[in-house]
Amino acid sequence: MSDPRETESQDEVETRSDGGILLGESVGASTQTDQKGGGLTGFQTLLRREILRFVRRPRNTFLPPMITNVLYFAVFGLVLGGRIDQIAGFDYIIFLLPGLIVLGTISNAFENASFSIFHGRWNEYIETVIISPLSNWMFVAAYIISSALRGIVVGTIIAVIGLVFVRLTDLTITVAEPLYLVAFMIVISVLFAALGIIGGLWAKDFDYLTVMNQFILRPLVFFGGVFYSLDVLPGLYRTLSLLNPMVYMVNGVRYGFLSYSDVDPTVALAVLTGFTAVVVLVDIWLFERGYGIID
Amino acid sequence: MGEAIAISDLDKSYGDVQALDGLSLSVDDGEFFGLLGPNGAGKTTIINTLVGLVRADSGEASVFGYDVVEDYREVRDRIGLAPQEYNVDRFFPIREVLEHKAGYHGYGRETASSRAREALEIVGIAEKAEARFHQLSGGMKRRFMLARALVSGPELLILDEPTAGVDVQLRHDLWEIIEQMNDAGTTILLTTHYIEEAERLCDRVAIIDQGRNVEVSTPDELTERGTDTLDIGLADPPATAPAFDLPGVVEASMDGDRLLVTARGGSKLVPTVLRDLEADGYEVSDLDIRRASLEEVFVDLTRTEEVASS
Repeated sequence: MSDPRETESQDEVETRSDGGILLGESVGASTQTDQKGGGLTGFQTLLRREILRFVRRPRNTFLPPMITNVLYFAVFGLVLGGRIDQIAGFDYIIFLLPGLIVLGTISNAFENASFSIFHGRWNEYIETVIISPLSNWMFVAAYIISSALRGIVVGTIIAVIGLVFVRLTDLTITVAEPLYLVAFMIVISVLFAALGIIGGLWAKDFDYLTVMNQFILRPLVFFGGVFYSLDVLPGLYRTLSLLNPMVYMVNGVRYGFLSYSDVDPTVALAVLTGFTAVVVLVDIWLFERGYGIID
Repeated sequence: MGEAIAISDLDKSYGDVQALDGLSLSVDDGEFFGLLGPNGAGKTTIINTLVGLVRADSGEASVFGYDVVEDYREVRDRIGLAPQEYNVDRFFPIREVLEHKAGYHGYGRETASSRAREALEIVGIAEKAEARFHQLSGGMKRRFMLARALVSGPELLILDEPTAGVDVQLRHDLWEIIEQMNDAGTTILLTTHYIEEAERLCDRVAIIDQGRNVEVSTPDELTERGTDTLDIGLADPPATAPAFDLPGVVEASMDGDRLLVTARGGSKLVPTVLRDLEADGYEVSDLDIRRASLEEVFVDLTRTEEVASS
C-alpha cells in the first residue's frame, strides 16, 4: 500500500536518523549519519543474536556432544569395534562414524531451535522479536539458519573426533561423495531446525523438550541404522525400518563418506528435500498464525 | 493533526471472558494519551492488539494509518513498547539487548551500538551496560524497560504501567524522560494505576472498563464532572441537615457539627448555598471546599458502568 504519511517521509527519515532528536532534544549526543539499513538488517540482527547465543555457551552447546561422542567412539569403536565383524565390508568404527554425525547434527539442530524459541516464550522475551518489524519468513529463516549451523558445527566436531579415533585404530576414511555429503548435511540440519521450531512453539514446558528429544528423536535415530546395516535385520523389521525417515538420513550421509547405502541416496535426498520444504512452509504458516505466541 | 491510533469496534474474547467489547478509540499524532481502568478492564489487550501480540476477533485498528494486521511491519517499526511485565532476553548484557532491538528496526551494528549507549545514558544506567537484566535492581529494571522502548526511535511510545512499584524519585525521573519524548513529537500511550500520573502527564485520558470505552476527556474536564464537597461549619448546628432545592446538589448531611453538601460544580454553588442557609436562620462560621479528584471521578465512572452492566 502507499505510505499514508508520504508527504513527510523524507524529512522524517532525516529526523529519525538523528538519535539525539529521537531520544529527546536535550540529549543530542548522536551526530553521525545512521540511516536505517533496510529490511534485511533486522533479519541479520536476529540471525546474529541466535548464533551468538549458542557460540557463547560452548559448555552447554558444544562440550556435551563432544564428550558423548568421545565415549561412543571409545566404546563402540575402540573397545567393541575390534570384536564386531565388518559391516558391508567396512570396519565397524568406519561404518559407525557417519551415523554418529547424523545423530549429533539433527539432535543439536532440533535442540537449538526448540530451546531458543521455547526459552523466549517461557521468559516472554520472544515478544520483543515478534513486535519488531521483521516479516514472518525472516523469523523462520533466522531460527533455521542458526540452528542448522549449530547442527553442522556439531556434526563437524564429531567428524573430527571420529577421524582421530579412526587414526588410532590405524584405519583411514575418505569422503567418497562430497557433494552428497554436503547436500545431506544441509538438508537434515535444516529439516530438524525447522522441526525444532514447531517443537519450540508447541511445547508447554521444558519437559516437552526432553520428551521430544529423548522419546521420539533418539529412538528413531537408534533404529535408523546408525549402529547397524538394515541388511542384518529379518525381512519384516527391515521393511518397517524403511518407514523410519532417519534411515534415509543416516544412509545418505554414510553414502557421502563410504559410497555405500542401504537405500537409493538420490531418491532419499529428493524425498528429504521435499519434506524439508513442507516443514519450512509449516513454520512460516505457524508464525503467520502466531501459534504459541499470539493470543 | 493526523491520527496516531485509530481503533474501531474492537472485540476480543478469551473463552467466556470478553476482554474488549466493541471498543473504539482515537489518539492524535503527538498527543500524550492515558488509558485508565481497573485491573482486567482491557488496557493491556488494547496495547497488545496494536503491537500484534493479540489478534482481535473483529473490528479494526491502525497506527499512523497502517492496519495492525495487514501492514504489521510498518506498524511495529513505529512503536516502542515498555510492557508492564519484564520480558527481557537474559542471555545477553543489557547493552546488547538494546543493540538487538535497534537492529531489528533496521539500524546497522555501529548505529545500533551508539543508540544503545545513548538510551542507557538517558535512563541513567550507562554504568550497568555489561550487566545482565537479572543483575539490575528493581528501579534499574524499570529504567531499562524504558530504554528498550525508546532505542528504536519510536513515533508512538506505549508504556504499560511504566512506574509500577518504583519510588517517588524514579517516578519523577521517568516522567521527565517521557515528557521530553512527547515534547520532541513522540505520541505517548500510557496506562497507569496512578491517577496523579495521568493528571500530570496526559493531554487526554480514556477511562476503560469491562472492555468498553466509558469516557474520553481531558483530566480537567473529567475532574469537573465530579462532585465537590462543601464542608460548612454552623454556629448552631441542627440535628438533621437542611434540604437544598438547588440544581447540582447531590446530598446534604451532618457530620457532627459540620454540614457536608456534595454537589457537582460545588464551588459555583457556594453563594447560593450560603444565602439559603442565612435565609433559614443559620450562622455560618467557616467553609471549606474539597474539590473532586480524578480518582473519585474514575471510581464513580467505573462503578456506574459496573452497576449498569449488572
